[in-house]
Amino acid sequence: MLFHILLAGLVALLLMPLSPAADAAERIHLGPGPVDWQGDLSPIASSEWSYDRAAHLLERAGFGGTPEDIERLAAMTPEEAVRHLVHYESIDNGHLPPFDESGVHDPGLVPFPPSRPATTQLAKENGEAIGVKVKASGNRRLQPVVNKFFYWLRASMLETRRVSYWWANRMLNTNRPLEEKMALFWHGHFATSEAKVRDYRKMLLQNETFRRHATGNFRDLVVAVAQDPAMLYFLDAGVNIKGAPNENFAREIMELFTMGVGNYSEEDIREAARAFTGWNSDDLIFVVNAAQHDDGTKSFLGNEGSFDGVEVVDLIMAQPVTAEFMAAKLYRYLVRDELSADLNGELAAVLRDNSYEMKPLLETMFLSKDFYSPASMGTHIKSPTELVVSTYKKLGVDDVPGIPDFNLVITALGQELFWPPTVAGWAHGRSWITPGLLLERGNFARAVLFPDIDFIPRDRYQASLMLREVHARIKQGFDITSATLPGYGDGGMMMAESNMMADRDEDFNTRYGSYRGWQMAIERVKPLPRHTARLDLGAMVLEAGLRNTEEVVDYFLERFMRTPLAQPERELLVTFLESELGTSDLKAAETYLEAPLRMLLHLIMSQPEYQLG
Amino acid sequence: MRKTYSALQDLTRRDALKTGLMGMGAAGALGLPPFFARAADAMVKRIGDGHNENRILVVLELSGGNDGLNTLVPYGDDAYYRQRPTIGIKPEKVLKIDDHFGFNPGLVGFERLYKDGKMAAVHGCGYDNPSFSHFTSMAYWHTAAPNSGEEYGWLGRLADAVKPGGASNYIVNIDATQSLAVRSRDHVPVVFDAPDKFAREGFHSQQPLFQHVAGSNGAANPSRDYLLNIAQSALDASALVRQAWTDYSSPIDYGIVPLDLPKIAALIHADMPTRLYYTTFRNNAFDTHVHQGNLHQRLLTYAADAVAGFMADLERIGRADDVVMLLFSEFGRRVPENTSLGTDHGAAGLMFMIGKPVQGGHYGQLPSLTELDPGDNLIYTTDFRRVYATAINGWLGYEDTHTLLGGDFKPFDVFA
Repeated sequence: MLFHILLAGLVALLLMPLSPAADAAERIHLGPGPVDWQGDLSPIASSEWSYDRAAHLLERAGFGGTPEDIERLAAMTPEEAVRHLVHYESIDNGHLPPFDESGVHDPGLVPFPPSRPATTQLAKENGEAIGVKVKASGNRRLQPVVNKFFYWLRASMLETRRVSYWWANRMLNTNRPLEEKMALFWHGHFATSEAKVRDYRKMLLQNETFRRHATGNFRDLVVAVAQDPAMLYFLDAGVNIKGAPNENFAREIMELFTMGVGNYSEEDIREAARAFTGWNSDDLIFVVNAAQHDDGTKSFLGNEGSFDGVEVVDLIMAQPVTAEFMAAKLYRYLVRDELSADLNGELAAVLRDNSYEMKPLLETMFLSKDFYSPASMGTHIKSPTELVVSTYKKLGVDDVPGIPDFNLVITALGQELFWPPTVAGWAHGRSWITPGLLLERGNFARAVLFPDIDFIPRDRYQASLMLREVHARIKQGFDITSATLPGYGDGGMMMAESNMMADRDEDFNTRYGSYRGWQMAIERVKPLPRHTARLDLGAMVLEAGLRNTEEVVDYFLERFMRTPLAQPERELLVTFLESELGTSDLKAAETYLEAPLRMLLHLIMSQPEYQLG
Repeated sequence: MRKTYSALQDLTRRDALKTGLMGMGAAGALGLPPFFARAADAMVKRIGDGHNENRILVVLELSGGNDGLNTLVPYGDDAYYRQRPTIGIKPEKVLKIDDHFGFNPGLVGFERLYKDGKMAAVHGCGYDNPSFSHFTSMAYWHTAAPNSGEEYGWLGRLADAVKPGGASNYIVNIDATQSLAVRSRDHVPVVFDAPDKFAREGFHSQQPLFQHVAGSNGAANPSRDYLLNIAQSALDASALVRQAWTDYSSPIDYGIVPLDLPKIAALIHADMPTRLYYTTFRNNAFDTHVHQGNLHQRLLTYAADAVAGFMADLERIGRADDVVMLLFSEFGRRVPENTSLGTDHGAAGLMFMIGKPVQGGHYGQLPSLTELDPGDNLIYTTDFRRVYATAINGWLGYEDTHTLLGGDFKPFDVFA
């Protein structure tokens, strides 16, 4: 398709001298439509299409883009542009590499016990656990088992961060931005955390499921998620068995995944739990354990039958409230926080009338006048992932830098991918911003433009003082007990209970296991790349044909911001750049542009308005 | 002097008499023991005139639904062991505080605080028509308005009532995201996570621009206006917080998971004007559906270590008389254990008020372990807003809890 061919040529284009000053002059800016577009789902006309509206579409249906990306969309009709973004299946993404496995898993780790005490208990009973035998005799006979236990926790965590980095690069480089944008949505919607799953393989599998169903049929996606090994483990499917149902999944599928709270009874939850009994996974494969499945009659949402899980999903889909709940949630993610009951009803009807196929709804939203109304344009507070990926996208970098570390950045900004805070996922909108987080967002921009020169990759650098002390003492030949005693809390101060418990069992030492597990994991998990973003803002502004500081500020504001900066603040930026360059004439400052331009961009990216998309 | 369990039984048994006694006026004059006189006293003493500017409230949320019955174990009640044959904590394991209750063995820190008379345990806390959803129930606790759509948090409304129009740094919420509990009409709560990172990094020549926050540009973009307010709050608070953290060091052991309590100690130490602190044991940690035993005990140990460390630290910096902590969870857990060695979402739970000014002991009526609701949940005996009212009126001295909490919630007489 035209769009992907053009996108594929993008990198080459970026490196070529362009004359975008002329292009920029031709760029049409219409701004948001009239106020009465709000709530109007009828499509905008081709005559109402413009550069800034195309930019808005790319921000929401993807992660924004360079001026060149936006121009390609602006050159299409709005229908074509939306169709390219929504019907992406035929667009080639072959340049994106599959996840590069470190090879940290072995079959002995299946099934992985729920906790360290459960692991050592198992080893005591069976003489072995997680693929490691109990030492035949001697001291600390369970230590190798405990070491392996901690090894896997660490290895899976580090590998999951590699999955996260791999995903970030997909978001940046995909030719199908909406696919990744929606995979990100589903990750927050069906929030599952590595903190409990503790198996990067399952997290990766789930991520691929979200991508496969990203804009497909919602009902099929819910069934896929209900049968997804990570979700099954996360919401305790393994202990949901006939005669002893566990309500965790049954509650969340209705409350968080489909209907919303208040639209079902506690009795419906109990009955749905029965329908899902026996659903489990055999490592990475979904299985129904017939002996544990309750075949009896259930009474669910006013229906009677010997329902299984799939039938429960279908009964949920038959509820009008399900389409309403999902239409509203998708709308809030892609358009804006507030929507009227009428608008919600219209959107739900689109979803329901299309049997929960999501593409018609997405097309309706992206083409609607409402989408281009003042209430929608430039009012979305970006999630940390949107902020970070769109920043790299707009800078035109080829891949996600290793410095600053992607995972540390999004964690500091409040959205650690694969570790959502709760089963409800991340709260969006204003919840993304606190005073602390607003400053962090500006600091992220600085870390890209002026990277740390003393960066230590903290995923493998052991930040725990306790473990560093253990390491130092083990090296010096201390016995495990002495090596693992906390070095603090002496001097007559009372030691906290948790610190006193560390070496209670002489069959093994938890602290040593934790330390040794780190060593083993770091050896096996492949390192993340640690390059900084290679930027040339000087070339960017010179190739754009800009002549003076005012033009630079305006160019940056247009390129990086979707909400205009007020005039006084724009003036301050012009004055700043002039003062840093010692002139307003770009030509005169040609040989020393880079640092002042980066300082200027840092200031722009620190503005409250930069958080909006 | 604090209440013992037998005193509590006494109090419960005689609860019916209370109205009559109050009608007679001075319960104390009847020669009743002081604890009873306090509980029976309908008139809550005014603390200072209106409110006391030195007093600080710290709220610690245990998210996920903490299992109250395995926190403060009613080991003297056979029904407890009948309901929890596997995960019930054996009498010989609990840290006994009287002939009926003992703390979970992980709660050494709480046992010490209780025995020092600094911990009030409030039993049976809940509300009508309880929600079993973490998020819904937590929202009810945050807003103190169950089954309503209240927009602002109870601490946010308290701040609006005490300091109308807003004041810098009045509410501090240490967390990755802002809690609904502190959401306020007039105040912008200071929300941050790592104090050392609560700073704008940048060159010297950029600083004047960082000190500048734009005004509204007239365009109707509420998201932008919100961001500008946040930017102003960040500007007002960040330097103070960073300085406080730099100036603070403590020899106190807060344990393996200090929560955010050392940060709060640092701000109190630095005399921040903050009166309301809010923080959480994060990430729904107490949601213990399966294999609860070890995990729950460990979580409790972390919490108790951190709280005990915080209280010791307050003593060290000379502010123990000024600070009270309120500790809660969005619900307790179901009374019978499930078949996965865990417990499912329940209803009534435990609340604690902790601190030197607190008169330790048991408060509220014990919920029955035999007369449960149809879903096998404890039937609540104490509306949780009574404990909020205790903090607001009894501790902070703000009297109009009726308007603030939307009803009459009688404070407990927890403060001397």
